[in-house]
Amino acid sequence: MTKKRKRQDDFHKVKLKVGKKKHKAENATNINFKSKSIHLPEQLKCDGSGPTTHRQLSIKDLLSQLHHYNSNVKQGALVGLRELLSSNPSLVEQHASVVLTEVAALFTDKDAAVRVAAVRVLRFVAQCIPAERVAPFFPLLSAHLTCAMTHISAGIQEDALRVLDVLLEHYPALLSQRPTVLLTNFLELISQRRLGGTKGDRTGKGNYALSITTSRSVTAQQWRLTVLLRLGHFLQAVVEERPMEDGVSCAGGIGIWSGEKGVVTPVEVSWEEQVFSKGGIRVFENSGAKPTLHSTYRLRPNSEPGAGLSEGLCSAETVQGFAGTLVPLLLEMWVEAMGGDRSQADHGHLLTEESMALMFQILTILQLLRRLVPQMDQQDMLDAWFRNLYLSDFKQHFMKNFPYSQLEVVRHKKKTDMKRGRQQVVGGAVAGGNVEPLALNVMLCQVMVTLSLRGRDHVAGQDADWLGPIRAFVTDALSSGGKLSSKHLAALLEVVWRMIVTQRSRAVTEELLQAVYIQYQQKNLGLTIRTLLLHFFSQLYIQEHQKQPHIARSRILARWLASLPVQLVQLGSRNPQLSGQLLQTVQSAAAWGHKDLLLSLQTHACSLYDPHEGCVVVLPVEQQQQLVQILYFLPAFPTDVLACLSQVCNAGRVSTSLAAMLIRTVYLRSPLSGWTSSSQDVPVRDVDYLSFLFSTLTGFSSESLRLLQQADEQGLLASSALSPLSVFTTPLEQFTHHWDVVEEVCHCLETLGSRTQCFEILQNAIAKNLCGLVVVPDCVCAAVLRCVPRLLDLNFLPSDTLLHFLSDCCLSMLSLLLQLEQSARKRDAVWEACFAALSTVPRLLRLVLQSLRVCELSESELPLLAQILSLLLQHTQLRNHMAANSALLQTIIQDLTRFSGGESREQWLTDLLYCYSVTMSTHRANMATRDIY
Amino acid sequence: MSAPMEVVLSADSAGQLWNCAVFDPHTGTNLLSYRGGNSSARSLTVLSGEYILGAQLGKNFINVWEIQRKDQLQQKIVCPGIVTCLTASPNGLYVLAGIAEAIYLWEVSTGNLLVILNRHYQDLSCLRFTDDSSHFVSGGKDNLALVWNLASVVQLDSSRTPEPRHVLSRHTLPITDIHCGLMGPQARVATASIDQTVKLWEISSGEMLLSVLFDVSIMSVTLDPCEYFVFCGGSDGSIFQVSLCSTTLSRDKTFQSDSEGNQVFKGHRNLVMCLSVSMDGTLLLSGSHDETVRMWDIQSKQCIRCINHKGQVTNAVIIPAPANMFLPDSRPAVPLPRFSRHLNPSEQGEGTGTGGACLRLGNNCQDPEETYLEKADRLHSLMCAVTDKSVFGDGENTKVRVSELEEEVRTLKKINKDLYEFSTQLLTKPN
Repeated sequence: MTKKRKRQDDFHKVKLKVGKKKHKAENATNINFKSKSIHLPEQLKCDGSGPTTHRQLSIKDLLSQLHHYNSNVKQGALVGLRELLSSNPSLVEQHASVVLTEVAALFTDKDAAVRVAAVRVLRFVAQCIPAERVAPFFPLLSAHLTCAMTHISAGIQEDALRVLDVLLEHYPALLSQRPTVLLTNFLELISQRRLGGTKGDRTGKGNYALSITTSRSVTAQQWRLTVLLRLGHFLQAVVEERPMEDGVSCAGGIGIWSGEKGVVTPVEVSWEEQVFSKGGIRVFENSGAKPTLHSTYRLRPNSEPGAGLSEGLCSAETVQGFAGTLVPLLLEMWVEAMGGDRSQADHGHLLTEESMALMFQILTILQLLRRLVPQMDQQDMLDAWFRNLYLSDFKQHFMKNFPYSQLEVVRHKKKTDMKRGRQQVVGGAVAGGNVEPLALNVMLCQVMVTLSLRGRDHVAGQDADWLGPIRAFVTDALSSGGKLSSKHLAALLEVVWRMIVTQRSRAVTEELLQAVYIQYQQKNLGLTIRTLLLHFFSQLYIQEHQKQPHIARSRILARWLASLPVQLVQLGSRNPQLSGQLLQTVQSAAAWGHKDLLLSLQTHACSLYDPHEGCVVVLPVEQQQQLVQILYFLPAFPTDVLACLSQVCNAGRVSTSLAAMLIRTVYLRSPLSGWTSSSQDVPVRDVDYLSFLFSTLTGFSSESLRLLQQADEQGLLASSALSPLSVFTTPLEQFTHHWDVVEEVCHCLETLGSRTQCFEILQNAIAKNLCGLVVVPDCVCAAVLRCVPRLLDLNFLPSDTLLHFLSDCCLSMLSLLLQLEQSARKRDAVWEACFAALSTVPRLLRLVLQSLRVCELSESELPLLAQILSLLLQHTQLRNHMAANSALLQTIIQDLTRFSGGESREQWLTDLLYCYSVTMSTHRANMATRDIY
Repeated sequence: MSAPMEVVLSADSAGQLWNCAVFDPHTGTNLLSYRGGNSSARSLTVLSGEYILGAQLGKNFINVWEIQRKDQLQQKIVCPGIVTCLTASPNGLYVLAGIAEAIYLWEVSTGNLLVILNRHYQDLSCLRFTDDSSHFVSGGKDNLALVWNLASVVQLDSSRTPEPRHVLSRHTLPITDIHCGLMGPQARVATASIDQTVKLWEISSGEMLLSVLFDVSIMSVTLDPCEYFVFCGGSDGSIFQVSLCSTTLSRDKTFQSDSEGNQVFKGHRNLVMCLSVSMDGTLLLSGSHDETVRMWDIQSKQCIRCINHKGQVTNAVIIPAPANMFLPDSRPAVPLPRFSRHLNPSEQGEGTGTGGACLRLGNNCQDPEETYLEKADRLHSLMCAVTDKSVFGDGENTKVRVSELEEEVRTLKKINKDLYEFSTQLLTKPN
């Protein structure tokens, strides 16, 4: 039974009844919950690989899309790429290699929009990456560029020039390392190779012929202009970026003439820098007496694969090869440009903007071609080569039109008469289409002048037929009085330089220099133009006149040099740079003994060295120094100049060292120095020299001293019994400056030779000029006290007047000393001077002591006197002298004790008595010991 | 008394007792003196150890003495103008004189005036040869120093005027003194100027190596043989020693005395006009306008000796003692010809009668010499060979050689002994 019941328990039947709630099944699922989605933006971003564009494309996607067959997708990818890179600049560096590779491949894409987008990306990337980082990828880039330039499709060719623009703008150095391939590409762009069979009869014209493609959107002339513009830029880059193998340094913009004469710039070799530098180190083997051709040492050879080609443009031969192809093409273009004009304008040769731009580019390229070779001698060789081959062509085409284009210029000016002087704003169809006729003419002159023969080979009148018009034009342009821009002026001056150097005729030189001089004499010239002209003249003088007598004898140059001192005076302190340049020329010319200049210098010496507003005080330190050095070459030193100089020394506006230098310069020029052996000319007379030294020693002119006597200023310390002279205290700076100058003067006086005579002169001078004075400046006192003991000879007895003056000075200075608290420097100086005088000059101490009359002193002066005395007693080296005058000393001290009132012994009196007793006792002890032995 | 290795040759402007005198640098005793006239600054020179040449102060002739005949003027060379400086080439073949702005070059063997160089604008102040006589440097009062190649100057080609190899134009005031270092065309040149600087240049490239600015004008300059120091004589009488071994790289520096090499010798009271260092680099000689010549010990910077003169010292130099100097009986190997005053000898009439052809090798006709690098290589290998042999030596060879030598010594001793016995027999036998 129990078993049954149990079994029933296991399978318990649930009875369901109607009306009752149904029991839940045990395995029923509870569905009473709600679900919500969780959004995790951060997490999602993290798992993606890097940033994306706004279309959620990462850089990988974009790069892969660049290979898409659909050009719209490609363009989109490029735009995306630019967006992505500009928002995340760090990506540029990470993916530089891939980006550059992929983008470069699209230079030759069929679709124009893609190419434009690719160029944009390239421009952006180029802005971000510096040249040295692009260098490894550059062969690839230039391969694609070459590919695009030589592409059969005209559109791709055009866009290739845009790529080139970007590269030229950002990586000129890299681009110019491999010039040869690109140069042929340029040729291909505007011409086509002649097939040997068809046009073999015109071999003289080179094997390329200008090509005309009708399918282009622009005219042939415009197309050529675009290409030539790029070619010009490219050649410019090559010329500028080339390592300066022979060390020719073109310093800034004004370096055009230094190209005429190589200036070797010494290099500081540091290996770290040398690893990356382009220039070589010059090695001088066997002192350079036998120059080895390849003596330039490079730490790292050009390791790039195309290095073999890049050597191309360094030698004259390769340049000649290239020029041989290019120049006939250029000439053809020139002819076409001219011809086109003729057909357009029946009444004359009014050049259109476009053809003028084209002609300008042609000339620019010719000019650059010449500069392609680095070495000077090769450049000359190239010039000769050009002359041989093309002179007749150039003459025929360029020069035939030169007067005409001159005529054009006139008409052109008439047309735009009201605009003259202002910038001509002409909207050219292409960039760089805006060329002034003047620029064209100047460039033509530059090109033609290089063809003229140099030096010895020149036969007079040989090239007169075409040099004549050029000369006329240059002279006209310079002397017409119009304002020229600095660029044109620089070019014109270059032409002038070249013509002067090559023509070697005095008449031509004078004519050209006259024109430049007219330009120079214009007023209100800009600073750059003024500097340019100045530089031209000074370089012409400094560099060329040694070798070329016709330049040395030029009257214009002499006149210019003679005008320099006046200009210096007029310029004053307004422009120190210009003054510096003027001074440099003046210095060279003075050193080389240019007569006109020296004469003019002599005339204007007084105003140049004026102590108040002369150049020597208003200019900065370096120029002051130059002026002082120029002083050495002055032919004569009249008294007025010396007076100026002595005031300059003491005016305090030149530094002490410079003042010392000035004094020494005058010293060297005086015959007393004994350095100049030639006795025939005496620039400084002895009398003048000595009076110069004395007035420098005094530091005050006689007028100012006289004025001081009458004036009663607050700086004056009235005379009293203790200070017989009334002292005018000078400011501290003036005192120290004068103190240093005096040191130099003393040295000069010491080295004069005979001491006695020198001292006698000084004594007379002091007696004559200073002894009668009542008011004396403290620096004068100090100077005299310092100078006299240094010059004193033992067997010469100074006169009484001098001694009395000295004792007055000494006493005044000693009492001044006690009132000086503020400056240790001045106190030291004054004490040093007094001490030297008292200990060296015999009888001076006695005189000083004698002049101390205690009975005349007021109550308040007694402590001062006591202080002076104790000061003198305390000094060991003066003790003996004091002891020698013990009798005098005793009376003074007795008087002092008597007058001091007696009832209360004051501190100063105690001190004095103590000092006195110590001195006397030691002295007596010394005497005693001496007696014993 | 044994003759000293080096002697001091000095001259003053007074010339009361003698024109120039020779002193022993170590004792200061006056060994010799040459009489007649007085010499101007930087114009006393010894020509190939046999003649002393000195330009007369303020006159247009050059005094010549044979070096052993001190009392007698051998010759007076009359020049076209006052000679401001004079020097003879170390090999004794050429004499250079600065006369006004021109440099005159004579050939000693014929006395011909070879060339007159007119590149300076003002008077010459100093002329110096390099030690191998291949180049010379001229300094003038026009602030320029010019480096000339002797071979290119001597060229007979009269159509072109000789150009200097380098123009050293960085001084801004007249040049006072020049010193040429050793090593021929690779030498360094020191120039002193009134513009208070001393500049060091390289002859081979003509570039400036160093410029030192002082407080005073510098009147004289010299280098010690090792080129460790530059000595500069100032116009205030101090002598500055500038160390060239400093590690600072700057090309322009200002002189400051410090403990390491840059020092000042104080003692003179006036312009120091001449400086010279002895061969071993321990003694410095200075001559000044304060009428003394002083001898300094470079190491301790003390004045060892002071030789008083009667006038401003114009020349003082330490030279290796010429062999003939102390042999009164010796004669110069080559007689000095008459020096011509004009460029073209045919105009003079006399002197051309011999009809001798003048032969000068051009610069390019010579065989290419060894370069200095090659020479250095060769020397190095030679030195290595010597040390290899002496230190490590191949044993066999040395032993054989030593025994051979011993054998020879023995034979020589034997012969000597025989000789001695023979002579004693000969001497003693007759009695």
